[in-house]
Amino acid sequence: MTKNLYKPDLMEVVEVQRQTPDVKSVRVRFRDGGRARDFSFRVGQFGQFSLFGSGEATFNICSSSNWRDYIEFCFRRTGRVTETLWQIDKGDTIGFRGPYGNGYPMEAWEGRNLIFIGGGIAMPPIRCAVWYALENRAKYGDITIVYGARTVADLTYADELDEWSKRERVRVVRCVDPGGETPEWKGEIGLIPAVLERAEVPAENAIALVIGPPIMIKYTLPVLDRMGIKEEDVYTSLENRMKCGVGKCGRCNAGPVYVCKDGPVFTMKQLRSIPNDF
Amino acid sequence: MSAVLSVAGLAELVAGWIGQGKLVAAPVQVGDRLLYQTLATAGQAVFDARRRPANSIKEFFFPRHEPIFHYRLEGKEIALSDVVPEEREQIIFAAKPCDAAALPILDHVFNWDFEDGFYTARRARTTVVTLACAAHDEACFCTSVGAGPEDEAGSDAMLFDVGDGKFEVRAITEKGQALFPTASTEPRRSGSGPAAEKKFDPDRVARYLEANFESPLWNPLTLTCLGCGACAYTCPTCHCFDIVDEGNAAGGARVKNWDSCQFPFFTLHASGHNPRAAQPQRQRQRLFHKFSIYPRKFNAVLCTGCGNCERNCPVGLGVLKVLEAIDGEQRRLDDKEPVQA
Amino acid sequence: MSQQLRQTARRLLSEGKVQVVIGYAAEGRPALITKSEDADKLEWNDRCQANLAVYLTRKEVKALGKAAIVVKGCDERALVVLEKESQIERAALYVIGMACDGVGAPKCERCQVHLPRFADEMIGEAGESAAPAEGPNGLDRLMAKSSAERWAFWTGEFARCVKCYACRQVCPLCYCERCIADKNRPVVIDTSATPKGNFAWHITRAFHLAARCVGCGECTRACPAGIPLGLLNQSLAQATEAHFGYRPGMDPTAEPVFGAWSPADKEDFIG
Repeated sequence: MTKNLYKPDLMEVVEVQRQTPDVKSVRVRFRDGGRARDFSFRVGQFGQFSLFGSGEATFNICSSSNWRDYIEFCFRRTGRVTETLWQIDKGDTIGFRGPYGNGYPMEAWEGRNLIFIGGGIAMPPIRCAVWYALENRAKYGDITIVYGARTVADLTYADELDEWSKRERVRVVRCVDPGGETPEWKGEIGLIPAVLERAEVPAENAIALVIGPPIMIKYTLPVLDRMGIKEEDVYTSLENRMKCGVGKCGRCNAGPVYVCKDGPVFTMKQLRSIPNDF
Repeated sequence: MSAVLSVAGLAELVAGWIGQGKLVAAPVQVGDRLLYQTLATAGQAVFDARRRPANSIKEFFFPRHEPIFHYRLEGKEIALSDVVPEEREQIIFAAKPCDAAALPILDHVFNWDFEDGFYTARRARTTVVTLACAAHDEACFCTSVGAGPEDEAGSDAMLFDVGDGKFEVRAITEKGQALFPTASTEPRRSGSGPAAEKKFDPDRVARYLEANFESPLWNPLTLTCLGCGACAYTCPTCHCFDIVDEGNAAGGARVKNWDSCQFPFFTLHASGHNPRAAQPQRQRQRLFHKFSIYPRKFNAVLCTGCGNCERNCPVGLGVLKVLEAIDGEQRRLDDKEPVQA
Repeated sequence: MSQQLRQTARRLLSEGKVQVVIGYAAEGRPALITKSEDADKLEWNDRCQANLAVYLTRKEVKALGKAAIVVKGCDERALVVLEKESQIERAALYVIGMACDGVGAPKCERCQVHLPRFADEMIGEAGESAAPAEGPNGLDRLMAKSSAERWAFWTGEFARCVKCYACRQVCPLCYCERCIADKNRPVVIDTSATPKGNFAWHITRAFHLAARCVGCGECTRACPAGIPLGLLNQSLAQATEAHFGYRPGMDPTAEPVFGAWSPADKEDFIG
């Protein structure tokens, strides 16, 4: 038989970091050194991560594709697999299949200003692109990151947001929902669409990557439109439920696309031609 | 061996294959149902050109439950081991052409880009012998999706009921010839019954679907659906599956199980969002997958017109009634007549 | 009877007394009639096997508004249980009872409720009803076998189960928002259609329906693999009647076995 498509690589957990009260990030590396050397991926791709006995779950690979020592993913404690993942520790073994999906068109974005807009657990799939752009700084223009969560404690990668904000031609706009602020909070208070509108981000020659709950995306799109960003320059990454990740199991198809194979990254223009089934 | 065989001759052949250690599956009478099953004895096989089994042959290529690897846990150590592959040759015998026709359709999804070795290995070691249909019922609509009672797609050899308990054999592929060395390979029109009249046009249906994801028709047409998987699980082409782990702290297996888009939790996101929260949306998805998504992706309608969905539906729904309705609706739109409410 | 049924439905819909009539259309297929002009689609014949009470707990059907439902005597028992379990409000429902001579299902051979007893409106005459057949039924024949034979029987039957859950979906009393078979924290029942997963599913389901199942036989009718699932429920119904003298859905004033406790309850049933 040809290679077993569904058999994962074994990965050693090298670091687990608690990002928020219910989100952790995990760094893993291939147990098989040869596989580690051969492995490559594009930022924006995803993998099927698994705990044996609990099952598989789909997560974006949120590390930069330039990093060779480990890959990273991030999860919210919410279901059967993530409940068990919450317990893992350095030295544990998990399974990984991937990389899957199309990833971000980082080459096509060269020479453009980048606007990243994310809500809550959407920071990880943005983070990989931010780091990639910073590591190829000369190829990209201004970088703006608008990131919000319900409360201050729910902001993931808070330390990296600080680090990015110190870089040249990088602007980080942080926000929390009204009531989610602390007395020390220096960022914005409000919902992402409103904060984005207030932020007066220059939109010339910009592409926008918007990831978050459907409701956030829905209200952000008109703002981007008012800013003058065309829908073919607005990207998102869909979060359809998936099982196989390789275009077979039938969960993520919509219109002519299989989100796991043809996506998860689409422009809003592409999405407009696909039935609203995600 | 003559190319015309009696029922006894067919049974003798089957007995011979079983004796050689081959797996032979054929229609078997189980209570009031005719069901494809792997035979224990040749005598179980039913050679009836007028009746359709209530299940499909997809199970012999894409089983309802399939371990994909085993895992063993010892402390922090984890060992994965492959499943020992079944290597016996398999013969599907006296299957319906509308079952065999599903195989070339399914080949696309299991082989595009990534190859599912479990499926392709079974395809490679299986020979499919069909029995041309001599009758159809109200639920049949193979001719509407480009197939027919003697359609060769997916068959390696085909039997024709020529009356008096005799069956003529025609070999279609090399595999079929290997099973029946003396059989004719010439095309043959046979004693098959009249083909069902065309009940809708899949292209017209596709045009409607692509323009009417939201339509006031979906609710009234599909609201009686109770949301079981009887249609999907007896469909020759439905192939959705789940991947789950089964076992305990010491070990177990990761398995691939049939799944159905009609179940409410099928598309439930981790966030709690469910793009298909209501049953009519799930019915719509099944139609879209078969008549729009799959054709646009693989240039093949994901349906062979076998009618199992309607026959097995506890509320008599199936796809045909809905397809006829939307075909009629699109025809009205094409004629530019006022659309009836 | 079809004519009379259509008139009733037309009247109820046009007067606005109900927004939907849950009935049968051609070939006995369930139909949800929401417009009075569609009342002519309703049919009554011996193919009207489905127990339409299953629709009363569906959110998509509830959203249609106040309902009238066409029931046979056997189906009506499900309404009694649904009301006992606070799943429906009987007063908000208009029940159209059909005198039934049987719809050709195995369950009909022992039917004792040819006439609905609590309908708001009856269609058909009492005299049309047939007397129950004598002699052993399917359950009697199964129970006459040895325990080993019965085990072999169910092993063979469950081997064909593909876990399509048609048995659950057609059952008017399987109304759980999230069935135990769909729960995965922890997994109680293997989702696999293996001997283990199938036994776990069917036995669990039978026990969840013990002292509740009204014997409508929909599970048997719906099973695409032809597994006579209703026999499991009938067996438990027989035990319930023997131990507690309780028949679900027969007497609206009777306390449900699992809804009431009495010092007179026999401990041997529990032990």
